[in-house]
Amino acid sequence: MRLSRPQIQDLALGVLGILLFLLGWELIGFYKLAGLTWPRFSTVMEYLFDPSRRGLFGRAMGASFSMILGGYLLGFLIGLGAAMLSYTLKPMQPGIDRLASTINAIPPIALAPLFIVLLSREVTGMAIATINVFFVIYVAATSGLEKSRQNHRDLFKVLGASKSTRMLRLDLPAALPSIVSGMKYATPAAFIGAILGEWFGASRGLGLLMVSAMQNFQIPLLWSAVFIASAASLIAFGLMSLLERFVHGRFS
Amino acid sequence: MTGFATRARGFLAKYWGVIGVLLLWQGWVWAKDLNAIVMPQPLDVVRDLVTNPGIYLSNAALTLTLAALGLVMGMALGTAIAVLAWTSRLLSGILIPLGLIFSSVPVVALIPILARLLGYDVKTVLAIVVIISFFPAFVFTSAGLRALPPGSEDLFRVFGSSPWQRFIRLVLPSAVPSWMIALRLSAPPAVLSAMVAEFLMGTSGLGYMFRQSAADFQTDRAFGTSVVATAISVLCFTLATLAEKRVNARWS
Repeated sequence: MRLSRPQIQDLALGVLGILLFLLGWELIGFYKLAGLTWPRFSTVMEYLFDPSRRGLFGRAMGASFSMILGGYLLGFLIGLGAAMLSYTLKPMQPGIDRLASTINAIPPIALAPLFIVLLSREVTGMAIATINVFFVIYVAATSGLEKSRQNHRDLFKVLGASKSTRMLRLDLPAALPSIVSGMKYATPAAFIGAILGEWFGASRGLGLLMVSAMQNFQIPLLWSAVFIASAASLIAFGLMSLLERFVHGRFS
Repeated sequence: MTGFATRARGFLAKYWGVIGVLLLWQGWVWAKDLNAIVMPQPLDVVRDLVTNPGIYLSNAALTLTLAALGLVMGMALGTAIAVLAWTSRLLSGILIPLGLIFSSVPVVALIPILARLLGYDVKTVLAIVVIISFFPAFVFTSAGLRALPPGSEDLFRVFGSSPWQRFIRLVLPSAVPSWMIALRLSAPPAVLSAMVAEFLMGTSGLGYMFRQSAADFQTDRAFGTSVVATAISVLCFTLATLAEKRVNARWS
């Protein structure tokens, strides 16, 4: 893939922006412009990559990432399932729409105690991530499923295709670009859900590290935990953007 | 009478899902004969809401004020920076990628860092909402400032308008629809982040009230807070959507 001149310029400026951001972070910490609770970038990196803390961060990442991944997969399946249900059974659609948007409107801090009672403390993060992902996927998939063309639907009907054949061979492929865009926007939503859930008393994970570091003034630990979560979310988002570009090139 | 019947049917078609969940909840509490501390019934929650409206209203008003003020300030700041970036290729090349990166990171995770930086205070809650609403405003306004109707720029140039006139009459108006998208997308997170910040720092408002009542095992009040919070978040989203529709109808 050859880049044009403006694209190279954009790339260079983007990299420059990130470098300036990191430099600003370092300098504010060095001159203590924002007080003692703003550590230098290099301090955070040193803290983060210190071999003695590999176990601590490894365990926290393992716990959080498995919750995020579990919530993402579950939310994806439920969201897609609900969208397919409301697409096949049209009369149910307004009710499912309204239920989905009501559930989405309940603030996660209000849902957390419900999940703690119904499920357990440990999986509360996963449950909130599931709900966040579910809504994004549901909205993306319902609008995507409407995108198959009427004349194609007629053709399938005339040729005697069953409903499930039509769903599998026509409607779902037509919806794929929307669904993949939804999957991209669902990644930060899954991270937010899991971290918020862990703030409500999980016994491990990055969210727990953040809250206990905040309360105990462990500034480098606090920034390291937030840095890991942000970087991981960004990487996942970047990978999803690549997938989105591929699918959009192939299916639309 | 028939008007009432059709309206009732329309209501049922939209809300059967929500009503079903509420009935299931009530039925489940009855069937398992649960203690009110573990799981209050919907009826208890309604009773607490109706008998103590003052405490709900005052806390909700505080949270809503913080969220609305922060939203407006964040949007204004984001728009100002986007306009500034628009004037220079260098600035926009540096700032836009950073804006995109920050808007795809779980920004809620920054709340503990900001709480430590700025202190446990009402002003911190406001600052958090400002920062969280800033990024969508910046990203969408930047995109809008560049999405001019095709040919319009040439028209302005042919009629000999000054760059300033071009900016005021062409560029700013064409950014308004994207600006409205940013408003709709930022409204619910503004309420949510205000509540999460109040919850974590224990200052005041709905988030604090929720934490306090959960700690005192007043589960009916904790759920009542959830109901109020949900209502506020739905209200903000609905208002922002209405504003977006109205502006779009007038603009295109």
